[in-house]
Amino acid sequence: MRTYGLAILLLTLSSSVYAHVGSPEVYFEGDAGPYRLLVKVSPPAMVPGIAQVQVRVTSGAVGSISAAPVYLNGKDQGLPPAADSLQLSAADPQWFTGKVWMMESGSWEVRVEVAGTQGTGKLAVPVPVFARRTLPMEKALGALLFGLMLFLSIGIVSIVGTAAREGGLQAAATPSPRDRRLGRIAMVFATVLVASILALGNWWWNAQAADLKQRVLYSTPPLHASLNRMDAGTEHGADQLALRIDEDFWHKTRKNQWSMSLIPDHGHLMHLFLLRVPAIDRFYHLHPEQTSDGSFTVMLPAMPGGKYRIFADIVRGTGFPETLVSEIDLPNVKGEPFSGDDSGVAAPAFESLGTPVNVAQLCDGGRMIWEQDTGELKAGQVSWFRFRVEDAENRPVNDLEPYMGMAGHAEFVRSDLSVFAHVHPAGSVPMASLMIVQQDLGLPMDHSSTRSLPAEVSFPYGFPQPGEYRLFVQVKRHGHVETGVFDAHVRN
Amino acid sequence: MAENVRIAFPPTTAVAELSFTRARTVPWYVWSSALAVTSTTVGLYWDISWHIGVGRDTFWTPAHLAIQFGAVLTGFCCAYLILHTTFAPEAAAREHSVRIWGFHGPLGAFIAAWGGFCMLTSAPFDNWWHNSFGLDVTILSPPHVVLILGIFVMGLGGLILTTSRMNLSTGENRDKLNWLLLYNGSLLLCLLLMLGYEYIGDQTLMHSAIYYRVLGMIVPVLLVGIGRASGSRWAATTLAAIYTFLWLAGNWIVPLFPARAKLGPVFTPITHMVPLGFPVLILPGAMVLDVVLNRFASRSDAQKALVGGAGFMAVSLAVNWPFVYFMMSSHARNWIFAMNQFSYSTPPSQYHQAWTLTAYEQTRVEFWVGMLIALAATMLSMRVGMLWGDWMRRICR
Repeated sequence: MRTYGLAILLLTLSSSVYAHVGSPEVYFEGDAGPYRLLVKVSPPAMVPGIAQVQVRVTSGAVGSISAAPVYLNGKDQGLPPAADSLQLSAADPQWFTGKVWMMESGSWEVRVEVAGTQGTGKLAVPVPVFARRTLPMEKALGALLFGLMLFLSIGIVSIVGTAAREGGLQAAATPSPRDRRLGRIAMVFATVLVASILALGNWWWNAQAADLKQRVLYSTPPLHASLNRMDAGTEHGADQLALRIDEDFWHKTRKNQWSMSLIPDHGHLMHLFLLRVPAIDRFYHLHPEQTSDGSFTVMLPAMPGGKYRIFADIVRGTGFPETLVSEIDLPNVKGEPFSGDDSGVAAPAFESLGTPVNVAQLCDGGRMIWEQDTGELKAGQVSWFRFRVEDAENRPVNDLEPYMGMAGHAEFVRSDLSVFAHVHPAGSVPMASLMIVQQDLGLPMDHSSTRSLPAEVSFPYGFPQPGEYRLFVQVKRHGHVETGVFDAHVRN
Repeated sequence: MAENVRIAFPPTTAVAELSFTRARTVPWYVWSSALAVTSTTVGLYWDISWHIGVGRDTFWTPAHLAIQFGAVLTGFCCAYLILHTTFAPEAAAREHSVRIWGFHGPLGAFIAAWGGFCMLTSAPFDNWWHNSFGLDVTILSPPHVVLILGIFVMGLGGLILTTSRMNLSTGENRDKLNWLLLYNGSLLLCLLLMLGYEYIGDQTLMHSAIYYRVLGMIVPVLLVGIGRASGSRWAATTLAAIYTFLWLAGNWIVPLFPARAKLGPVFTPITHMVPLGFPVLILPGAMVLDVVLNRFASRSDAQKALVGGAGFMAVSLAVNWPFVYFMMSSHARNWIFAMNQFSYSTPPSQYHQAWTLTAYEQTRVEFWVGMLIALAATMLSMRVGMLWGDWMRRICR
């Protein structure tokens, strides 16, 4: 066996790339007792911070909804604080909004309790919380604070000078030359003192800000990818992709707070996505196995050469999901046929501002149709993305099978790769995280689809920002994974 | 020498009349200043209690409103006072004032107004800080320091407003103003001790040098400074007694109000507001300071600082060192001593840490060096207090 590990270009992207890649909002559709709810949680950009909670009631007459956050650290997680009532929208009686406070980075559960005409119900939504950015000071505010600082600085120097010059004078007395000199000396001392305090304050402010940024701002662990060419050039040659997850400061400092070990999601410790860039014309969804040294390896299928962006979904022991990002240049890979849950698809090159694609041809001769509403797609708008699978005779199929326990998987990718979201019919939450929070709340844990599936599969989601997107929608039929590829233009 | 003659010309009749009137009344702005400092001090106590009991912090919490009410009240009153003095028809009013940037008014009004303005400045700064770096988890962030600076300067302005009138007053009116001075001073002491709460509010550090370093640095300067300005024989003792009474009252009143934790995770269920803990035992040390200042009145200030600082430290140690054994025991876990009160974020498994003495200094050498620093800091603090007090006694405007 010959190994060309690092001979292949290895590029680890900046560790400042966000987890879940540009799509921090959490979408979850589920049952709270007799009521069906679609919940959207927008985690705070900075921690501690406030998360926005939006709930749409999709079935049932609901009178009130409350929400409370629970911190999941895998140890003694305490009790939730007093729940907050969500406010009913004046415009839409099925729409509730509110806030919950998240005080730590990590895995949280938003506990939603519902009361209505059919009694009460509850559900739990897993929400990963991590600090994504600090806020630069707006120019207007900066100018205001600078002006106030100058005013206060000059003011205190004047006050000190006056206090020394006139403070002890009897009524109607005027300051003597000695008083005036004393006042001037006091003003010089005060100026030096104020300047020193301001300099010290500036240094302290910068130090505090830098410290907070280092301690609080989330970073993904570096992911190192390399190709092992085994028996290259021979008939039985195979190419293995090896992935090693390193530790970064953010994760190192949290080791003692919560479990850093990985838990399986849909039966796999890692869901690996390879997209050939910049055309996004090849898509692979693979499942590497963990080796004894903690790294991951996977045998590659037949793949054309090129530069590939790597997205690796993992879930920590507390239910905290992360998407690690890397990139690798690959030669033509002879590869092996897909096996197990692995899948992939070839598609035309993605053209920005091209014609939106609503119908995708499938490998089995059938097709997948994106059943879009008439309205245009808008960023930040929650909606259901519905897809109907038809056979070669354009008839809706009735033999879809669960794919890794779900009716389908969908990946939403922005043309510049700044957004990558892996979504299920239950929403953007990983099933492993969902199981943890539902176990915590004492709810049934089985979300896998084993019953016969309809021809239509839907995904609740909202595009985080405007732009051109490519969607990969995966279902399973006759033991094979079929992937539909769609293009969308999302407006602001 | 001409330089020693401060009165350049004899006061006019109008000025003399005004001075006579001033010497017989407690003006409204002294009362409003006391009210402002009271509101801010109560607000700060309430805010710390809110943080450890309720947790959720917005600008509009009642505690924050109480703090900022002090700033707004001070701002309005001082602005009115300064404008009224500046534009008053009778020139005599201005002859009792100082002049800054063309405006006339009592020196204390300018100082208090500066403090109030500084406090208000901290509000947008703090709001931006929350948005940028997250909601508060520490007391000492840059915007909080601006707020705290403003609070203390506002309090200082109140003291100077009071002393400047007191220095012109005699008899019953002076006594009234003296009580107001000591009351304002006790509130400032409360504020100072809240600032040092991380050390001075932690009873487990009462066998560590850091506790006495903080105590020695912040307490004598205030007790001696205001004591000197007051001129009464037992000023430091009275001030310390008022502080102890106010703090105990806070501790015993606050838990009467129901509360629930609004931040999670909640490790200790909260049913009522949480008090801040037993007050610091400064009363015996304050008595020593008064005794030294009275007994050694004829000695130099440096000698008084040496003897008084040493006495304050010795008595503080003699009282606090054994007292903490009681505080660590189960006998102190009741409403009187509040050693059974915990933040919502404290797991029951950590309660024992509040009942176990902690060594802040890791070695014996570190401890003794720390104690020497504490002694020197106490003496220095006392000496600075005397200088400050003497200056306040001279303020007439």
